[in-house]
Amino acid sequence: MNVTITNQDNKTLVVLDGRLDTSNADQFQQDIAPLMEGDKPDIDIDCAAMSYTSSQGLRLFLMLQKSVMARGGKMVMRNMNPQVKEVFDITGFSNIITII
Amino acid sequence: MKKRFNPIKDKSSEIIEFLMASPDMPDDEALCFKLRLSIEEAVENVVRYAYDGGIGWLEAGTSLDHDSLILTIELRDAGVPFNPLEKDDPDITLSAEEREIGGLGIFLCKKMMDSIQYRYEDGNNILTMTKKV
Repeated sequence: MNVTITNQDNKTLVVLDGRLDTSNADQFQQDIAPLMEGDKPDIDIDCAAMSYTSSQGLRLFLMLQKSVMARGGKMVMRNMNPQVKEVFDITGFSNIITII
Repeated sequence: MKKRFNPIKDKSSEIIEFLMASPDMPDDEALCFKLRLSIEEAVENVVRYAYDGGIGWLEAGTSLDHDSLILTIELRDAGVPFNPLEKDDPDITLSAEEREIGGLGIFLCKKMMDSIQYRYEDGNNILTMTKKV
């Protein structure tokens, strides 16, 4: 999973590319560490190239969402492929994370 | 096809890829996504929790009934007796603040597969999952 983080004005743009699974969840957690800092974050995550996530990925997205809310910020995930979206739907994550 | 992995510590990826490479697997991308997810969650469960320190074996296999096109994935280990299906499903209506981090793995298997069964036999945990392919 490749993670690209770009800060633009007051927004943080994130592009995810690849598969997020048990083999790389620890690395992903380190890669998104910068997103866990700062007041009122405004995070926009492009998931178009994210081909897969398991529960290991879900738990990190939930952790990030909780952190963003606790800091009074907002986060959206966009362009999910239908299979990844289904995982978010089935687990109720579509109700707690803004997916557009 | 069937293979015994021993020891299984840090072998999750190898076990998952072994099963996904089985000739019993379908060609369909969407179906393979569901199968990979179920396999990953079930294998992780054994690798993480079945044995103290991951020192133990896991036998992973697939079979395909060519008449009914029902694919069966079976995982067998000799670890601590544990029925993952007894665990309550997570409450998916809770808010982000209320949701606990974790506990989604077996729930995803249940949702992605057509059936999932557990039995304890001759000192082994046996998890059997099926899917029409």
